Amino acid sequence: MSGPRTFSPYLFLAPALVYLGIWIFYPIVQNVVLSTLQPVSGRESELLFVGLANYQRLLSDTLFFRALAHNLIWVALSIVLPVVIGLILAVLLVNRRMRLFYAMLFFLPATVAPIMAAIVWGWIYNPTFGALNQVLDLIGLSGLARPWLGDTASALVAVNMIGSWGYYGFCTLIFLAGLQGIDPEIYDAARIDGAGPFQQFWKITIPLLRPTLIFVLVYTVIGSMKFFDIIYVATKGGPNNSTQIVAVYMFDLFIRQGQVHYAAAMSTVLTLIILAISVLLLRGAAIRR
Amino acid sequence: MLKNSLRYRMPSLSAHAVLILFVLIAIVPVYLMFVTSLKSQAELIANVFALPEEPRWSNYPLVFVDRGYYRAVLNSLLVAGSTTVLTTILAISAAFAFTVHDFRGKQPIFLLVLVGLMVSEVSILIPVYNLLKNWGLLNSYVGIILPQIALGLSFGIFLMTTFFREIPKELIDAARLDGCNDFQLLIKVMIPLSLPGISALAVIEFLWAWNSFFLPLVIATKQHLMPLSVSVIDFMGRFTFNYELVATTCVIMFVPILILYLVTQRSFRRGVTMGAIK
Repeated sequence: MSGPRTFSPYLFLAPALVYLGIWIFYPIVQNVVLSTLQPVSGRESELLFVGLANYQRLLSDTLFFRALAHNLIWVALSIVLPVVIGLILAVLLVNRRMRLFYAMLFFLPATVAPIMAAIVWGWIYNPTFGALNQVLDLIGLSGLARPWLGDTASALVAVNMIGSWGYYGFCTLIFLAGLQGIDPEIYDAARIDGAGPFQQFWKITIPLLRPTLIFVLVYTVIGSMKFFDIIYVATKGGPNNSTQIVAVYMFDLFIRQGQVHYAAAMSTVLTLIILAISVLLLRGAAIRR
Repeated sequence: MLKNSLRYRMPSLSAHAVLILFVLIAIVPVYLMFVTSLKSQAELIANVFALPEEPRWSNYPLVFVDRGYYRAVLNSLLVAGSTTVLTTILAISAAFAFTVHDFRGKQPIFLLVLVGLMVSEVSILIPVYNLLKNWGLLNSYVGIILPQIALGLSFGIFLMTTFFREIPKELIDAARLDGCNDFQLLIKVMIPLSLPGISALAVIEFLWAWNSFFLPLVIATKQHLMPLSVSVIDFMGRFTFNYELVATTCVIMFVPILILYLVTQRSFRRGVTMGAIK
């Protein structure tokens, strides 16, 4: 197909590939290199090869593991809440005439910058004038009121709600597109065979939606491992590290504490974890297909 | 008869209730942001939901002109605008090669591009910072824009490839027979036929660049260079308890995106869903 000018595709590819090389792949390699170095004490400009010492330190850093656990909890919460809610809303919408109007409104929070969502929800959670406590008061549940972001017991779930708020509309939109790709005749046939709505959901919708589900799952995992803005603005990892996540911890080590090489090791581990989980999920999906 | 119609109407009613509930959940925080920007502190504490007695529109010129917010708006327009244009051009060019050509290393190169989808700011922060420092690009527009393009490029190539693949092969072959070279094929056939796809990519890239925070936070530390995202947080750091002014900065940042979203709905929907279902 390419005709005689076989160099042509490379010409069209070159700008993007060079670009990705400089700003994505070189940094990833350089991160690994940086993570094996450490400045000589006293002479900060002199770097010494220390092998895996930074990774060893990582293994004994309890705060790192706590942060990583919070990322994993974030994955679980994001699947339980926005993904499931998105699926339910898409199923409810799929045969409705107003579905695009609803979808437009559900997706609105996804256009709000995460930093803005964090600011506005920070006010909603505010103990003195927060909307949430006022609503609880109104419906007679004032006993539940608390400083949502200031309480170590509720902070992580509360900040996840901010993320979920900006995410369920995205999930709805994707699932809706997936559902519209399913032939309605399959449902008609199932109904004639006497399948109820729940049976139809488990036996038809879920299996046929598999590729879409896998996509959302991978996307959710990647997003939950690398997100930063909401925590940085809403809690900075506090109170008492109860919302600390790897990205914020890494940022703090690099910017505030100047521990460049240790931060590089942490960032490398995070990259590897994201790649590993994504590849495993996609592999699993490909095998079972 | 009655029993039957109830049986069918009940689920439909509860479905409506669920939909309305989630519409409210989506809208109320946005409403609060707008309404807070027009209130006094006392009104805010008295009732967060209520509309203000006398809307304080003066907050807007105060923030926009007196606090120099127009500068951040211009910075954001410049940064998000150039990021969008450049990402789209690079993505179109690469996607063209992936769609109409077979060449050595096509599969592995495409996989490499897909790996870029999994790489985030967090993975590249430190080396990118060092690069920019060495090249003297910290605190410059170029320094903010260059890495931003890379973050959306893999997605752009992936999305454009799916759009280009929808163009019938016969059309491409016919253009070839008419003597089109690669460049003419791209400009005269492929691009005009995938304009909806290109605008879908452009609005998504613009949204990402406009809302992006992590890299600009590190790269743009001088106030006159800050895009809106960093500027809003910088402002909040200095005026934490002036909620109405912080809300005003948020509204200023959100309104352009809201208008873009309402005007280009279909493009947004296409851009979000296209990559997922292919």
